[in-house]
Amino acid sequence: MSHEAETHQLEDNITVDSEASRLSQISLGVGAVALAGAVLLGLGDLAKLQRAYLVAFMYVLSVALGVLWFVAIQHLTNAKWSVVVRRVAEILANNMILIGVLSLGVVGPMLAGSTDLYAWLDHERVHADHILHHKAAYLNVPFFTVRWLVYFGFWIWLGRRFFKMSVQQDKDGGDHISKALQRTSAPAMIVFALTLTFCAFDLIMSLDATWFSTMFGVYYFAGCVLAGYSSLALALMWVQKTGRLATSVTQEHYHDIGKMMFAFTVFWAYIGFSQFMLIWYADIPEETHWYHWRFEGGWKVVSAMLLGLHFVVPFFGLMSRHVKRNKRSLAFWAIWILAVHYVDLFWLIYPTGQGTVPFGLVDVLCMVGVLGLFVGVSARRARGVNLIPTGDPRLADSLAFENA
Amino acid sequence: MAAVGDLKEWQGGDAPSHERAAEPKDARSWQTEPAGDNPFAQITDVVVRIVETPKPPRAWYIALAISLSWLSLFAMSVGLLVWNGIGIWGNMNPIGWAWDIVNFVFWVGIGHAGTLISAILFLLRQNWRTAINRAAEAMTIFAVICALMFPALHIGRPWLPYWMLPIPNQMDMWPQFRSPLDWDVFAVSTYFTVSLTFWFMGLIPDFATIRDRAPTNTRRFVYGLLAMGWRGSSRQWHRYERAYLILAALSTPLVLSVHSVVSFDFATAQLPGWHATIFPPYFVAGAIFSGFAMVATLLIPAREFFGLKSIIELRHLELMMKIILATGTMVGYAYAMEFFIAWYSASPYEQFTFINRAFGPYAWAYWAMVSCNVIFPQLFWFKKVRTNLGAMMVICVLVNVGMWFERFVIIATSLARDFLPGAWGYFVPTIFDFTTFLGTFGLFFTLFLLFCRYLPMVATAEVKAIHPAAHGH
Amino acid sequence: MSDSGETPAVVKEPEQVHGLLAEYTTPQELIEAARRVRDAGYSRWDTFSPFPVHGIDPAMGIRRTRLPWIVFCAGLTGGSLALFFQWWTSTVDYPWIVSGKPFWSVPANIPITFEVTVLFSALTCFFSMLLLNKLPLPSHPLDRHRRFARSTDDRFFVLIQASDPKFDRRETARLLDSTSPRHVETVMEDNVTPARMPRGIVFALLIVGSAATVPFALAVLGRYSTSEQPRVHIVPDMDSQEKFKAQRKNPFFADGRSMRADVTGTVAHGELRDDDHFYVGKVNGAFAKTFPEQVEISLHTMERGREKFGIYCSPCHGADGAGQGMVHQRARALLQGTWVPPTDLHQENLLYKPVGELFDNISRGIRNMPPYARQIDTADRWAVVLYLRALQRSRSAKLEDVPESERGGLK
Repeated sequence: MSHEAETHQLEDNITVDSEASRLSQISLGVGAVALAGAVLLGLGDLAKLQRAYLVAFMYVLSVALGVLWFVAIQHLTNAKWSVVVRRVAEILANNMILIGVLSLGVVGPMLAGSTDLYAWLDHERVHADHILHHKAAYLNVPFFTVRWLVYFGFWIWLGRRFFKMSVQQDKDGGDHISKALQRTSAPAMIVFALTLTFCAFDLIMSLDATWFSTMFGVYYFAGCVLAGYSSLALALMWVQKTGRLATSVTQEHYHDIGKMMFAFTVFWAYIGFSQFMLIWYADIPEETHWYHWRFEGGWKVVSAMLLGLHFVVPFFGLMSRHVKRNKRSLAFWAIWILAVHYVDLFWLIYPTGQGTVPFGLVDVLCMVGVLGLFVGVSARRARGVNLIPTGDPRLADSLAFENA
Repeated sequence: MAAVGDLKEWQGGDAPSHERAAEPKDARSWQTEPAGDNPFAQITDVVVRIVETPKPPRAWYIALAISLSWLSLFAMSVGLLVWNGIGIWGNMNPIGWAWDIVNFVFWVGIGHAGTLISAILFLLRQNWRTAINRAAEAMTIFAVICALMFPALHIGRPWLPYWMLPIPNQMDMWPQFRSPLDWDVFAVSTYFTVSLTFWFMGLIPDFATIRDRAPTNTRRFVYGLLAMGWRGSSRQWHRYERAYLILAALSTPLVLSVHSVVSFDFATAQLPGWHATIFPPYFVAGAIFSGFAMVATLLIPAREFFGLKSIIELRHLELMMKIILATGTMVGYAYAMEFFIAWYSASPYEQFTFINRAFGPYAWAYWAMVSCNVIFPQLFWFKKVRTNLGAMMVICVLVNVGMWFERFVIIATSLARDFLPGAWGYFVPTIFDFTTFLGTFGLFFTLFLLFCRYLPMVATAEVKAIHPAAHGH
Repeated sequence: MSDSGETPAVVKEPEQVHGLLAEYTTPQELIEAARRVRDAGYSRWDTFSPFPVHGIDPAMGIRRTRLPWIVFCAGLTGGSLALFFQWWTSTVDYPWIVSGKPFWSVPANIPITFEVTVLFSALTCFFSMLLLNKLPLPSHPLDRHRRFARSTDDRFFVLIQASDPKFDRRETARLLDSTSPRHVETVMEDNVTPARMPRGIVFALLIVGSAATVPFALAVLGRYSTSEQPRVHIVPDMDSQEKFKAQRKNPFFADGRSMRADVTGTVAHGELRDDDHFYVGKVNGAFAKTFPEQVEISLHTMERGREKFGIYCSPCHGADGAGQGMVHQRARALLQGTWVPPTDLHQENLLYKPVGELFDNISRGIRNMPPYARQIDTADRWAVVLYLRALQRSRSAKLEDVPESERGGLK
């Protein structure tokens, strides 16, 4: 397990301008069209459209938060292996402004008085219901708005800081930027944990007025990390397909990313199981109804899918080191995880006590739309930037990195 | 073990020689030849010398005397308990679980740091762990032994603990598998077994080192027996390394699961303050938090008295303090979640529970917990504090105090003030609660001191493997 | 590393060569030497180091061990076993309801399943590693070489065994010399250690192994046999309890009795019983002709009455109330001369007895019939009376009692 700083040479071409431009144009186009289609299609059933959009939005938010967390933890732990892959993650994590704009699709209707999703926006119900009335000190529009601004303000600031300072390091070199970012990461992690948690509470947990779970933030976080690592793997593979970073990002790096995908699959299952089992065991009706909704009618199938396809299958699939070291199989599992992550969010957001599972074209269009915009903007930001942090003092170690 | 026979015959080779003077010059005498600038020999010397010296440092004797006195206190307390029953403790209605369970969770939690250092830091390729992992794993074993004392003793009829195991019996009954208490039995005993296995496996090459340098026949036989004939063949190392990796990969979810299962003891109940879904990772973070603090509390004096400063460096300790800060922050996050959700849930019982914790009859315990767990560790943000040995010791001890109080606050305050005011009560410990708990420290430190004396405190083979001189090609 | 001592200890033959041992001071030299030996085509050889040298596996051409597969299978076995066992004990062997949870509570079974999976995997991993490494290995020809003792300290060795087909004393020695070792020596066979395990150890292991099955056999025997004795217990547990039982002397009280009467002048909660109609069956001192208002005249009450009648009354009075119950038939069969037959409940005087008096007969007994107040609850006694009335009506009904709509079906 040695980290030998061998003479691994950095490739010459580490920018990806033209391909990124092309990808960006296509993605943005597809994304915009899909979103427009979703809105047109969904105008008849606004409640459904809002829900479909919420799932799509929380999905892309989870990807962005996942990669943002990845960048932060690499800095915090002074990790050497990941330097080569970190710039791509920084590019993805720098997209928080777009996510903030996309969040208007959720927050806009809320501020405009739509009560389709959140019962706490409905003044009459809040007055009538004792529990909602109690929660109104937290779940009210002004306080929510302030929190929303804080969440995105912080995430935008953090994403930009990591990206800008890393790019700066390309020019200046030197250790002081790495140290500064390490110093930022520590308190940033705390604020990150709190903002992620309360955002999940605000946008997902409060969909059900009476339900609550102290674990909820951690659960959403687990999904974020999985989505982040899987997206990172796929982004790196796309870059390598264009011929860049062909020798810098090796089997070893993919192996490590694969290991984290495996570990967080297990972690997600652990968190999900803990939350479920404790509520099942104590059997308190104000907590159990949330799960009852997810075991009735068609939702039984979705829940079974979640257990089987989000945990059991990827657990056995990602166990072997050969799978993690092979780009094609890792890509398969990355796409698989991203797909079941959608099922997870769908399962979190949609159930309202009716046994129906209303998956439809609107959902697909919202997802394609939002993801298209995300990919498009990320690709745009990738132009003109080195795809590897050339100034990072740990770069040599990362290039020579070998798994045991 | 080497062929049993006379030591002199063992010195064989080409020329039968009985005197030191006739030995080939390169053979290292285990007593006199200095290691020079050979890094591997230096590492061996520094560590194995402790085991080989006929007399340990005086501080060891003093420490052993104190811990043995506490251990005898433990023996006395256990004897009285078995004879008289649980009544000698302060447990009463409604606080049926008191110091016994607090101590159990306390000790199990401390044990977790060892596995984290061994297994998780190994998987994360943190090479600095090799300086401390042997001592940390030993600490785990001893902490789990202390922890297991409490479930065994608190069941009222401690001569019947085998009822918790699924053995066919005359009563036609099986353990209640649906109970978290039975999950505990499986979890903690599995944890003990696997930790013991992992620790022992790590010791095998070091036992071989001691065997090959042993000055007396008895020592050579005993350490040889323990080494099971290990000779350091690369083919053996290959399988050994794979097994080590697999055990590390198994121990990681195991350690997460064990304290999660312990947390299930509380979280599966309906009691406000106990029933929170975040308990599993919250407890695990807390366990790592207290465990690292205990490892530091043990190693800071040990490296002084046993001369291990060149191996257990200040930077290793500093990294440990950072982990303490990180896990302490996670514990703080969990506190915040519990508090917020208690308010958010609109359940008057939940809200009362948390107000009661801070301002009720046990407020003194609550604020002790908060200051020791959340406030004092924040000092580790400052490098000056993280690298000052005295400050480290003080804060680490305070962390363990705080974590003990955390378990006490969770257990006692929730039980003391539950749903029905007519059932409220206040727990007061008896002298035997104290002596039993103090006694377990005696057990722990006695075992640890014996470990320091007779077993290699540092994983020499692992330290050598990460040394820069070890890197081939 | 193969253990190839063949001859028993006694005969001293001229010693055979086991192999050639080369010593190095750095891991880099070891790896270089290993590559040369590998490339020269040797197969029965090994290298030794105090720690695992990074890169030695490819340098020696060591293939990956199958240990992970063994562990995987063990883990699956453990997990399945645990899950099956929990299922079997909770649903087949001794199902019992615990806080309303289903017999097979899968969420509740997961923790133990997980732990047992890890336990099986870990123990299999460790013991397989030992077995594959041929440990414990009590002795080896290298043990007699003092220099080799540094293999666990700070030196690195290559050993090429004489049993390798390519081994040639001079050629092999030349090859090793070309790798510039610190020292080369010949390793002779170890003729001291016996080739097979000593019979004493074999016998001891067999005896211990057999003895170890005894506790399990006893446990299984205990599980599947019955006994009139209480379970084996060394500690007397609660066999003798320091408490006062009914009918025992109690020196604490003046009258010496353990059982105490109610404190004079007090009535316990729910024991006031001031409703004579309901509790005694009398209204103003005379037996009540109507049912008390607490008794709901309904099919439900009658069914309850039928149930209680079947339990308490039918043994003597028969299921039809005619007095030919099983107790009566038994007495007849035993030719009991002094036996008074139970009353036929369809007698005319009973048809007109007030319900309160019937209630009183049940409560306090009548003639040879014992009182049933202690066994049957007050409300249930009234239910029995209600059922009795229905039973009586079944034998003494007139056509007018049948509702008009039903009369057609009677012909």
